[in-house]
Amino acid sequence: MDRRDFLKQSSLIAIGGLIVPSSFLSACRKKTLFEKINYTGKVLIIGAGAAGLYAAYILKSKGINFQILEASSNYGGRLGKLEGFANFPIDLGAQWLHGKNNILGDLIQKSNTKIKIDESNTVYWFNNQLVNSVPQNTTIFEGDNLPDLSYKDYALQKGLGNEYKYIVENIAGDQGAGASQISVYGNNKDEENWSSGFDDFKFEETFFDLIDKQIASQVKDKIQFNSIVKQIDYSQSQITVTDSNNINYSADKVIITVPITILKSGDIQFIPALPNEKTTAFSKIGMGAGMKVFLKFSAKFFDQNIIGGSICAAYADDSIGKVQNDNVLLAFVMGEQAEYLTSLGSDAAITNALLQELDIMYGGKATTLFISSHVQNWTTNPFIKGAYSYSTIGMGDARRIATQSLNKKLYFAGEAMNLNGHHQTVHGAIETGYREVINILSDLKR
Amino acid sequence: MRKLVVFIILLYKFSNAIAQEFEINLSYKYMYSNQWDKAIQTYNFSRPFISEKQPLLMHGSNASISYIFKSTKSLKHGINLSYSYFRSSSKNENFKNSLNLHFINLGYAMHFDSYNKMKGLYTDLIISATSSGLFRNINGQPFVYDEKKARSFGIGGDISLKLGYKIKFNTQSSFSPFISLGYTPYLYSTNSETLINQTKGLASKNWTNILSTQIGLSFHI
Repeated sequence: MDRRDFLKQSSLIAIGGLIVPSSFLSACRKKTLFEKINYTGKVLIIGAGAAGLYAAYILKSKGINFQILEASSNYGGRLGKLEGFANFPIDLGAQWLHGKNNILGDLIQKSNTKIKIDESNTVYWFNNQLVNSVPQNTTIFEGDNLPDLSYKDYALQKGLGNEYKYIVENIAGDQGAGASQISVYGNNKDEENWSSGFDDFKFEETFFDLIDKQIASQVKDKIQFNSIVKQIDYSQSQITVTDSNNINYSADKVIITVPITILKSGDIQFIPALPNEKTTAFSKIGMGAGMKVFLKFSAKFFDQNIIGGSICAAYADDSIGKVQNDNVLLAFVMGEQAEYLTSLGSDAAITNALLQELDIMYGGKATTLFISSHVQNWTTNPFIKGAYSYSTIGMGDARRIATQSLNKKLYFAGEAMNLNGHHQTVHGAIETGYREVINILSDLKR
Repeated sequence: MRKLVVFIILLYKFSNAIAQEFEINLSYKYMYSNQWDKAIQTYNFSRPFISEKQPLLMHGSNASISYIFKSTKSLKHGINLSYSYFRSSSKNENFKNSLNLHFINLGYAMHFDSYNKMKGLYTDLIISATSSGLFRNINGQPFVYDEKKARSFGIGGDISLKLGYKIKFNTQSSFSPFISLGYTPYLYSTNSETLINQTKGLASKNWTNILSTQIGLSFHI
């Protein structure tokens, strides 16, 4: 073989041995999961919150038949919007985007939605006075080798005495729980995979607007409202879902996105009954009381964030991040404090209790300058029954067990079912929505 | 400037004194990473609002240099330094997203070359440590959150086998077309999913293996 022949053959080998397989491999490697789907079955989604809406949005993008059953008369779940109360729209539910390294960060960028980082200042109600800082470090609830104790007990163990009680309540309240309910270890364990970032952002409009315009608008024609699911019979090949109107819906797959409180309380009957392991897992996932009270005043006398009140551990200036600036103070009430205010029995009583506390803090200005209030009590909403999920003492891997699908028919989504550190958040709920569609399509291939 | 020229001449003379040859390689590189594929595929699946999908990280380029020590034997030894670059870019309204992946390898090279017996055919076996850096840009700017640029670094090991055919320019220099196969059995890249799909533990593992092939030209001096 002379050099010319050798070169010729080498070239052919190179082309045949490298370029052709590379091209073939390139063609085989699809840009997306399940690029070609030919699924003719029907998927029923229970709940039109963020997880349910997003699951529907994905199903629609894949051309899969679906329907959403929503118990209430509107969509959004724990997202909501109030107009007319102030000169800017109010977020009745989820309000802050927790970090922007998540799917909603991309959606915000794509849709050119305006958000602003929340850099508001904080004062503390400490030893009956407002102060800019507290003597002891309160960032003790993150780190390694933390015990499976409540925030309350761990704070006492670390020397944060009774004077820190409501500051610790606020830290627990951020996690949707009372300080005596949430586990230091469990919360850290669940947040191990948190990857979203730690800056908090507020929407110039509302969080609800983003979900409404970008996601719900794509699928809302497929929502059956006022359909309170009472029974899910998955004993046959076709699943039958019965609602409070005694209407039966038939489906091949069901994605259940209702809050964990609904699953815990047995509002939905399953046939056959859910395995004990599953119901035990549900019962171990916490979800405490939560409410938001918006207090409108004729002048701004309050600080941007007030932490440590005994009636409400966290107040926040609601106009932060908005174009308009009516004087609206948000009382963000969680856990035992929300239970107490709920027990007062009326919105007026709740408002009065909060005004009294603010009067003590600000020398009577709250009552003098008060105009009106709006109470959004998520705990008394029969389809929500609380704020958002938290990690209880002794919870173990309850979230993982709760999330597992049943018989390739029932799939579980929603913020409480997020396993990658983003529970309690809207983007976390959305991640479970698309995750369960992936699980359905993966099960079809198996 | 004069000092630099003198330094390069001295370096060349020094290398000639102890090195059999310098090998400079330029190539097209094709890569397959199962885990990075999964992360990008999940990203594309989960974002119907993006019409132009994100391409997989597969086509790239490589530049490397091998320094082969002087020896009278057919099997020679040397060191190899290599740089590879891959890019995945999608353009959507308000949202131009690109992933930029860099690899730097430093390794030990075994060069088998007997010009007379093999008529110019040679092989290189290179075992190297590899490090990677994956970066994300949005609308031409580095993606920043928590006041830090989004990035994911990786570290692992790589083995590659190169087959080339030397064509001499003169007694001291030659060039060779070559093909190469590479395998990275383990590249620990803990937050690549966080960078690509913005999740952790949902779409892929925190490590990946990589298969690669290259076709290119080497220059030997």
